[in-house]
Amino acid sequence: MNGSKIKKNRLIYISLLILPIFLLIISLYIGSYHISPGDLGKTLLSAVTPKSYPNLPQALKDIVFRIRLPRILLALAVGASLSVSGASLQALFKNPLVNEYILGISFGAAFGAALSLVFLGKNFPTQIVAFIFAIGAVAAVLFIAGSAESHIVSLLLTGVIISAFFSALLSLVEFFASPYSLQALFFWLMGNLSLAAWKDLALSVPLMAIGILVLILLRWRMNVLSLSDEEARALGVDIRREKMLVIVSSTLTTAAATSVAGIIGWVGLIVPHLVRMIIGVDNRKVIPLSAAFGASFLMLADDITRVVAPFEIPIGVFTSIIGIPLFIFLFKKSKEIWL
Amino acid sequence: MNVRIKELEFGYPNFSLNVRDLSFEASKISSLVGPNGAGKTTLLKCIGGVLPVEEGELYLNGKDLSLMKGRERAQHIGYVPQEYGSTFNYHVRDFVLMGRAAYLSLFSTPSKEDVRIAEEALEYVGLINYSHRYYFELSSGERRLVLIARALAQKPDILLLDEPTSFLDPKHEVEIMDLTARLAKEMKKTILITLHNLDLAIQYSDSIFFMKKGTIFAFGKPAEILNESLLENVYEIKMKIVEYDGRKFIVK
Repeated sequence: MNGSKIKKNRLIYISLLILPIFLLIISLYIGSYHISPGDLGKTLLSAVTPKSYPNLPQALKDIVFRIRLPRILLALAVGASLSVSGASLQALFKNPLVNEYILGISFGAAFGAALSLVFLGKNFPTQIVAFIFAIGAVAAVLFIAGSAESHIVSLLLTGVIISAFFSALLSLVEFFASPYSLQALFFWLMGNLSLAAWKDLALSVPLMAIGILVLILLRWRMNVLSLSDEEARALGVDIRREKMLVIVSSTLTTAAATSVAGIIGWVGLIVPHLVRMIIGVDNRKVIPLSAAFGASFLMLADDITRVVAPFEIPIGVFTSIIGIPLFIFLFKKSKEIWL
Repeated sequence: MNVRIKELEFGYPNFSLNVRDLSFEASKISSLVGPNGAGKTTLLKCIGGVLPVEEGELYLNGKDLSLMKGRERAQHIGYVPQEYGSTFNYHVRDFVLMGRAAYLSLFSTPSKEDVRIAEEALEYVGLINYSHRYYFELSSGERRLVLIARALAQKPDILLLDEPTSFLDPKHEVEIMDLTARLAKEMKKTILITLHNLDLAIQYSDSIFFMKKGTIFAFGKPAEILNESLLENVYEIKMKIVEYDGRKFIVK
């Protein structure tokens, strides 16, 4: 690699890391209520020094701090979570087509959400039961497959089986649900960031942050874990312990994200793919950049769902609609890079 | 560093490895030969800690291997598999750098010193100019050399090479075996190598170990041990030993 290429790569790396901050500010402007740059600046400053802008309308503060900011921060955290988990599990399973839901998290969470909405009502926070069942589904997969050390195919197959089981249970709950709770459940299943409130963030963002942080710290180790088990063991890796750490951290982040935002598909596949196409397969770069790029991707996707149509498109539906064609394109293009 | 094995046992459903008492000399090349399924690779993997030893004892310079953690073992023993077992197309230098895993804690990333050691290993196998090439761009022979370089980055005393010459053309076969000889002579590595090519085993080994059905059938220095009836007993076909230019060759 010559000097200019190294410089170019470093520039791309830094730009991608800064991108979420830039998009966060842009996203604050986007919405049906127009806010001028000056007003936005004043509103943001008023949080730090409340006395300096006494005449700011309360509506402006409410829109920025109670509606837009929590929603944007949630998009940022969820996007980073799903992408980092996806990238990590892809390294661990030595397969770039694995996604963050592969171990049964999505259907576990969906069943939990359904139980909560149908039996505990809309006033009980859906994410608690969703989170418990998301973790429960992965625990069941690991228990049935033997351990994290067991053969990858058996883990993946067990993931499919457990997903099918929770999907059947989900149908059963739907069968007994009232039309109102069914509507709320479908809304949840389609993935949604619009209901984000600070209390949701307070519960889920710390969990997502811990998981992401652990996975980022493990970034180089993930290269070694992406080798065959025999090779990794010969290099002195305690495979059982290290794989378990990656699985637990990925599960924690994905379950926290899914329980608060519903099922948002394809992010964990598309983002790491794009990152690998831009910067290569070294997980030292892939994992942190997936966090930054995933956060940017979901913030941007959320901005688009807010402006393209007169009504809001659920974010999960939107990511699938644009995600699938984009993934096919990337898959065809990236074949030569890593396969 | 020498390797001693006592009463080693390992079993698959239709196969069991059983080695009573065996030593491999330090800084020499010991080759394991024998028919397919004789247990050569299994023995190598047991020594390398890739497969769990069910019963028996393994010693490195008198130190019990079972008391060592994976990391410590990997600082002494480097295992070179036949091929790379993943789909990700790493740069050659990043690939070799993974050999430093045994020296790095869970959450750390390689230092400049680790990079230097990886580059030194690449230099030794003659592929330093390939540092920024992708692994899958390389030829089979070059890939084998990169796998050896990764094991060298572990800075091991003992190198286990699992059929490093299989599917290679004669030029690359000789290149790999010359490298192996240099590693034993210059770097004082103790080398255990499994081979199917008996001519290479005769030419390069200090000792040959003939394996059959999970046991060591016979062993010794190539010049002393080799005879046609031994070959027939081990491989169950008739072979002739011919001499040319002072060297022995096997004719099937």
